[in-house]
Amino acid sequence: MITQTAHSTPLVTLVGPPNSGKTTLFNYLSGKHYKTVNYPGSTVDYSVSKMQDKFNINANLLDSPGIISLIPASPDEEVSVHSLYKHPKYGNPDLIIATADSTQLSRHLLLVRQLLESGFRVIVVLTMSDLLNKRNFDVSTKRLSELLNCDVIKLDGRNGTGLDKLLNLIEINLNNSLLSGKPDTTEYKLDNSSPLINMFRESEEIEKEVIFRVASTKNISKADKELQILSNYQIDNTTIKIDRFLLHKYWGIFGFFAIMSITFTSVFWLAQPLMNLVDKTFGFLANFAQASLGDTWYSDLISNGLISGIGSVLVFVPQIIILFLILGLLEDSGYLARGAMLIDKPLSKIGLNGKSFVPMLSGFACAIPAIMAARTISNKRERLLTIFIIPLISCSARLPVYALLIGFLVPNHNQWLGGVILASIYIFGIISSVVISAIINKFSKFILRNNDNSSFILELPSYRMPKLSVVINNTVTNAEQYIKRAGPTILALSIAIWMLSYFPNNNPKIEAKGLSSEQVISLKSSERLAGSYSAQLGKFIQPVMTPLGMDWRVGVSLVSAFAAREVFVSSLAMIFRVTDSSDNLQSSILHSMRNAEIEGTNQKLFTPATILGLIVFFIFALQCISTISISYKESGTWRIPLFQVLIFTGLAYIFTFITVNGLRAIGIN
Amino acid sequence: MRKASDIGFGEKAVISDIDTSHPSSRRIIEIGFTPGQEIELVNKSIFNDPLAFALRGTVIAIRKREADCIIII
Ligand SMILES: Nc1nc2c(ncn2[C@@H]2O[C@H](COP(=O)(O)OP(=O)(O)OP(=O)(O)O)[C@@H](O)[C@H]2O)c(=O)[nH]1
Ligand SMILES: [Mg+2]
Repeated sequence: MITQTAHSTPLVTLVGPPNSGKTTLFNYLSGKHYKTVNYPGSTVDYSVSKMQDKFNINANLLDSPGIISLIPASPDEEVSVHSLYKHPKYGNPDLIIATADSTQLSRHLLLVRQLLESGFRVIVVLTMSDLLNKRNFDVSTKRLSELLNCDVIKLDGRNGTGLDKLLNLIEINLNNSLLSGKPDTTEYKLDNSSPLINMFRESEEIEKEVIFRVASTKNISKADKELQILSNYQIDNTTIKIDRFLLHKYWGIFGFFAIMSITFTSVFWLAQPLMNLVDKTFGFLANFAQASLGDTWYSDLISNGLISGIGSVLVFVPQIIILFLILGLLEDSGYLARGAMLIDKPLSKIGLNGKSFVPMLSGFACAIPAIMAARTISNKRERLLTIFIIPLISCSARLPVYALLIGFLVPNHNQWLGGVILASIYIFGIISSVVISAIINKFSKFILRNNDNSSFILELPSYRMPKLSVVINNTVTNAEQYIKRAGPTILALSIAIWMLSYFPNNNPKIEAKGLSSEQVISLKSSERLAGSYSAQLGKFIQPVMTPLGMDWRVGVSLVSAFAAREVFVSSLAMIFRVTDSSDNLQSSILHSMRNAEIEGTNQKLFTPATILGLIVFFIFALQCISTISISYKESGTWRIPLFQVLIFTGLAYIFTFITVNGLRAIGIN
Repeated sequence: MRKASDIGFGEKAVISDIDTSHPSSRRIIEIGFTPGQEIELVNKSIFNDPLAFALRGTVIAIRKREADCIIII
């Protein structure tokens, strides 16, 4: 036997049609928690992991985006096909696990047979057999295995029944591969469509042979009726009935907007109790730290820099989690494909595609996966335009900013009104993205140059009751990513901003006679800030901020938000030295914001006009370096991210100027 | 010559041919619209486009323009 080298760890690749259960299976085998969604096209990049240790199989496992055939039609499918034939790092797979939905075998066998024809070593895993059983049918893996001449097993993706058999087969096949080497494969080619049509004919025959009815004592006559046309026996009638409603001319649109607005309004009020808890905790901690450490620089660093800075952002994490939770429910129910279908026509008028819907929707969580999700759009021009406008969809990093600013506008915790304002902000973001997309589509020569066939072909998966464990898994994964991405930046910047606004004038001399101790502290901190490094930096920013009716302190916060948008909140919290006697972090931020005056005047700094201006700024400004880099990576050119930064940040400034001064002109200060 | 885009709501028809000069035709075939296959128009989106066809155990939405390349008996 040949000695094993380091990179001879065998590679097992999961391949299958979209939504057939690849990622679900991948998670079982690897012990990871990748996102699974009831939408064809949820995975858009490959991921690799070792098999779980407890299975005792030394192999790398690769999950790939769903493909319909071995001839790719969109970038996500290209990823899969490339990983099959020429993966730069892992080479060809030793073994393929091909998933196929057993309720639609005649379609899903196409890919299996193409794989076998190209010479791959394949184990076929039939998923969704629970759904088949529910309709009183079953599938014979033995017969299918004979007909296809490869291993076939059933696996229930909901509880993992059948996993043992699969592991056994993997082991046998890998040993086989060690003995005989990697299988010889040829790239799959098609000159015309007649082989495809023939393959479908044969697959239908196979399907007829392997699917059989399970005798049911009760519903036999009904089942007989359903069997009249074999190819239609599996259609889920409930799904079609629900769709009659959700795709209806009027009800459908109503439903669409109802679902969208419920999503965003509930973010605000559902999260409130949890937010209060986090808020109180941090308020208490900050006061406690200050009280026990006294009036020292490290007391200020801990209470004002760390606790208030980080706490002011963490307060909003419950809202973000609720947002992820609701998006997760939508994703697992099967509605996403309907949303895409509903708005395909309107979106195609402005140069987008119905398939832009899912990327746009996931943009509410984060622009980075959203931009990657645009890979499912086969038309390059539509894909680039989708990538272009995604930064206008308000991501969860903006949620803390909006929530704080809304808290300023809507006092005494009117959560209902807060929710409505938040929903309007989101809708305003969507409308802006649509308008900008329409404009760019019209004058596209500069930014988009491609023009190929535009198409919309999408499977509408059956509706399913969202599975709690799946939704929670997705939410936790999302929240983890969020904290991992934003956490370190917020921590580092909180300390940096604290230092810039504390030194060098850290112990200012003030006339303390006749002042209460509280006044002394507040006078001291404003003196300290006025002589700080950030004030010196602020002088450069001041001229840009004056037309917006704001001063350098907001400017510094806006600049720091370019590292991560949430930093705006912690920066405000630190610059305005929020720690007062109040036991609640958020209300003390708002309190100091209400009292803040533009330096050198006695004009209030934060007014409804400037707050609305700031909201407008955050809707438009592209302040996220990761977005810029992913936009470059996915579009393959610097042109797109460059225009994004220039146009969106330019618009942000102009629209903020118009908002603030326009409101003042009509008497709203 | 009738096309899948001419089918009425809830109507069933059998595909007789696919117009392979259409740029989406390969994908249309790959996803399961093949000659001899029975399809049913189960739903339409607002503006009557895209159309949702039931076939081979699932429902597939395609644009009207794409349904044009599916010729039915
Ligand atoms: N009832 C049932 N549902 C399943 C089964 N396997 C997977 N699912 C569900 O089917 C949906 C799709 O599963 P995924 O694992 O995301 O499918 P995928 O093949 O990775 O899909 P893409 O990444 O879009 O290609 C999810 O909602 C799963 O929870 C199964 O055996 N039975
Ligand atoms: Mg997947």
